[in-house]
Amino acid sequence: MKEVFEVFKQSRLLKKLDFTLIITVIMIMLFSMIIIYSATKPAELLSAAGTQVSSGDPLSFVKRQFFNILCGLAAMGFMLYIHYEDLAKHVKLFYILNLIMLATVIFFGNSAMGATRWISIGPFRFQPSEFSKIIIIICFAAFLAQRNERLNRLRDLIPCFAYIGLPMLLILKQPDLGTSLVFMAIMFGMLFAAGARPMLLAGLITGGLSLASLWIWSHLWFKAHSSFNIWIPLKPYQLERLIIFVNPWQDWHGDGYHVIQSQIAVGQGGFLGRGLFQGSQTHGNFLPIQETDFIFSVVGEELGFVGAVVLLLLFFIIIYRCIFIGVNAKDNFGYLISVGVASMITFHVLVNVGMTIGIMPVTGLPLPMFSYGGSSMITNLIALGLLLNINMRRQKILF
Amino acid sequence: MENKIIEKRMQKFLIIISAVFFILVTRLAYIQLLQNDKFSTLAQENRIRLITIKAPRGEVFDRNGVKLVGNQPVYTVSLVNLGRNDTGGVVKNLAAVLGMDPREIEQKIEQQKRLYEPVQIAARVPLELVTKIEEQRLELPGVVIDIEPMREYPNGKLLAHVMGYVRQINEEQLEINRNKGYKPGDSFGQTGLEHTYEEELRGQDGGRQVEVDSMARPVRDLGVKQPVPGNKLVLNVDYKVQKAAEEALARSAQEALEQGYGEAGAGVAVAINVRTGGVLAMASYPEYDPVKLSGILTQKEYNELFNSPSKPMLNRALMAYPPGSTFKMIVAMAGLESDIVDPQEAISDPGYFFWGKTYKDWKAGGHGKVDLIRAIKVSCNTYFYQLGLRTGINRIAQIAREFGLGMKTGIDLPWEETGIVPGPDTKLQQRLKYLNVDARNRVEAIIQKYRELLANTTAEDERKVLLKKRAEELRAVEWELDWHDYDTIISSIGQGDNRYTPLQLANYAAAVANGGTLYKPYLVQKIIGPGGKVLKTNAPVELGRADVSLKTLALVREGMREATLPPDGTAYGLFAGLPPVAAKTGTAEVPGHDNHALIVAFAPFDDPEIAVAVIMEHAGHGGTAAGPVAEDMLAAYFGLPLEGKERVVTPE
Repeated sequence: MKEVFEVFKQSRLLKKLDFTLIITVIMIMLFSMIIIYSATKPAELLSAAGTQVSSGDPLSFVKRQFFNILCGLAAMGFMLYIHYEDLAKHVKLFYILNLIMLATVIFFGNSAMGATRWISIGPFRFQPSEFSKIIIIICFAAFLAQRNERLNRLRDLIPCFAYIGLPMLLILKQPDLGTSLVFMAIMFGMLFAAGARPMLLAGLITGGLSLASLWIWSHLWFKAHSSFNIWIPLKPYQLERLIIFVNPWQDWHGDGYHVIQSQIAVGQGGFLGRGLFQGSQTHGNFLPIQETDFIFSVVGEELGFVGAVVLLLLFFIIIYRCIFIGVNAKDNFGYLISVGVASMITFHVLVNVGMTIGIMPVTGLPLPMFSYGGSSMITNLIALGLLLNINMRRQKILF
Repeated sequence: MENKIIEKRMQKFLIIISAVFFILVTRLAYIQLLQNDKFSTLAQENRIRLITIKAPRGEVFDRNGVKLVGNQPVYTVSLVNLGRNDTGGVVKNLAAVLGMDPREIEQKIEQQKRLYEPVQIAARVPLELVTKIEEQRLELPGVVIDIEPMREYPNGKLLAHVMGYVRQINEEQLEINRNKGYKPGDSFGQTGLEHTYEEELRGQDGGRQVEVDSMARPVRDLGVKQPVPGNKLVLNVDYKVQKAAEEALARSAQEALEQGYGEAGAGVAVAINVRTGGVLAMASYPEYDPVKLSGILTQKEYNELFNSPSKPMLNRALMAYPPGSTFKMIVAMAGLESDIVDPQEAISDPGYFFWGKTYKDWKAGGHGKVDLIRAIKVSCNTYFYQLGLRTGINRIAQIAREFGLGMKTGIDLPWEETGIVPGPDTKLQQRLKYLNVDARNRVEAIIQKYRELLANTTAEDERKVLLKKRAEELRAVEWELDWHDYDTIISSIGQGDNRYTPLQLANYAAAVANGGTLYKPYLVQKIIGPGGKVLKTNAPVELGRADVSLKTLALVREGMREATLPPDGTAYGLFAGLPPVAAKTGTAEVPGHDNHALIVAFAPFDDPEIAVAVIMEHAGHGGTAAGPVAEDMLAAYFGLPLEGKERVVTPE
């Protein structure tokens, strides 16, 4: 009897799924598979000697991404069948597991490009810092919900900083500057939603940015003008990326190369783009890592301003739906989770797209549900599954 | 929880998010719509390259249409400077594939710093390696394979010295030809006809506009401008005669070595069309391989070609040699033209001539009664010592010049030597080099003084007095600065300062044969455009007519004819089975070394068509070592086989 009731309840709930959100997500993912195909299609080279060079399976990335999507959708589906309110009961466990997971990366992870971000389990590699984002959103939502709006003074915020700061430092240690900044975005977004004084938050953000700029500037100044060296929590390559961001043309065959090639790609796209699979920057491999970090450049080049704006619009719809769900959530926990997810996606879009068009430094943040990669895809779909869950249960069910 | 507050808060939140999207869209609009032109240009610079299509050089044919030099497509491997940091790895990979030393490649790319410009690393790369490189393209960013026409020599080393070789233009040549559109890496004719006719042969390079990827690998052809091949050259050279000459030189050099002439091993042969000056054959031995010179030379190969004692790179046809007895016709003509000698007047040759000291004939005991024709036939030194002394060096030198000796012929080849006609002035110039600084200054002061005095006098008597005084003063400094009778005596048999190029000797023989007309020797008969149109026909050029009577010429020719006849002609035994040949052998003394062997000849005697000159360095007697070469050339010219013929041995 109880099981029958459960099934009945679930099917009634499923009718309350946010189909706008689902359809938008599916559109983004289909869009992404076309662009990943374009970005990874091996170029056909002219051969002077008439020899054929075998180029492998042109669909291999698309197939793997499709598998990633299936995994993500499964995780999303799973998220629908739990009571999100129950998550609040286990936040302490989540928080500690998260810390353990991040610590494991530092000690046992795989390295690439000067950073240790991956853990291998069998044939799969996953990136704990991605999953960490969704865990921290849940934990922080519960944390704030308990505190219930006592956030008006700086003193009130300090426990919050500590709560977020601990996992964030572990991520910074990898080092993954991008994800650390995502944590900041999530934190500020959720603090704002929880009722912290906007001016206080704005002041903190401005002060933090100024302080960071001053730090970097003085580090460089002292390095150039004296033997005295100011310590900086950045690896040389990260610093380089930040400096290059200011003026990529000064070293455009070195560190500025990627930034400029990406802008060339987007810039030559013009209004309608060069046509799908026609981007010379994409197919000539002038773009760096074009299936992940710089995938938006491919959209800009091949589909032009129109394609880029359409994609941004799809993201805007998703973020809008997140906020909508938050506003209508039945409790503060659900509301705060929604705003956390909205902040996360917004920040990813801002930094990733901004990087490809030269208004953000290169930090290696993927474009949600669009860049090639499993961990990011699954994390985002889990997050959105959570939101669908919140949306389904938005009203008190009366019996 | 009050929904109103949350809604208000979220409205603000939405505004912030909208602002983020607004910034992104604005920036997109800025670079995609406003700066589209700028970025499109940059993208084009990224991907569009103009690749040169090298024009094939003009082909070269012999007088009968036999292809002497052609072209074949070869693969070349170049490295494009992509401005990347991983060039070292690419160089290492490429060096491994090509089997080269990575340092060699590094040196080459050192010279080319400009972005996106290819540097040729290797030419004539075999197909297997090309396939290998294409398979490893992903590990070889910037490595480009092209097909380029390069010189092909269907007859191997044949005519190598005349054709010269083609090699990448060097810095100096680039500087000199700055305005002619050469680029580093272009081919350039370095010597021979390749050099002289570089303008005709080079053609016009075409171009291919291609789209490339970030590793400079072509992805798509955008447009092609076909190259215009160079103009074809049709030579006066007769393939058969040339081939016979080269084979005979090699054989004769080998035989001389076998006979114990340790310094032998080099030789030269020239054949000229008596009626036009067209060069029928010009061969120099040892030869070199022009293919080898077009590519990468190892230090050892370089030394073998450029620093070996046998000097294979030299075109010996343009180098001056002592003429030995082949000079005697000049002395005979000088004597006849000066009316000093009656051709019928015979002297009695005891085997030596005494004039202050003893001058020996080559034949101990002498030739007995000798008149002018017999003197040429048996190459009687005694006769020419006396005749030369009586004629005087000035007259001899004048006749020598009439026949083009000691003057550049003006042939269409670079670096022709002038040669030396003996006389007081040349002797002074020659000896001046060996004086010490003090003596040289004194001599120069004397010369200067008398130059002014001589310029101010017109009277013939006064001039003679002044010259005599000058000679006295010079003798006071150094006896050998002045001209003496013994200089005239030894010059009369082609020794002393006499130095003429084989080409000059052949041309002189041709002028004797054709009745005194001196033609400018020339190699290129016709220049034909790539479409088959004759662009230029080189007509024979008369340099002048020797101021010698036909009677004199006939007498000298008669002497040369006799030389090939029994019983004691110095060239007797050669030329059997050929149309009547006239010849003069020579054996030039080289102090401290074995003699050079020489021969000049023309045929047919009655109506001459071809004249030849052959010199075998340090190979002994002219008739023995040089004669058979001339014989083979003439046989080839007249289309007669000479298989299994007995070799003759002549005394002079």
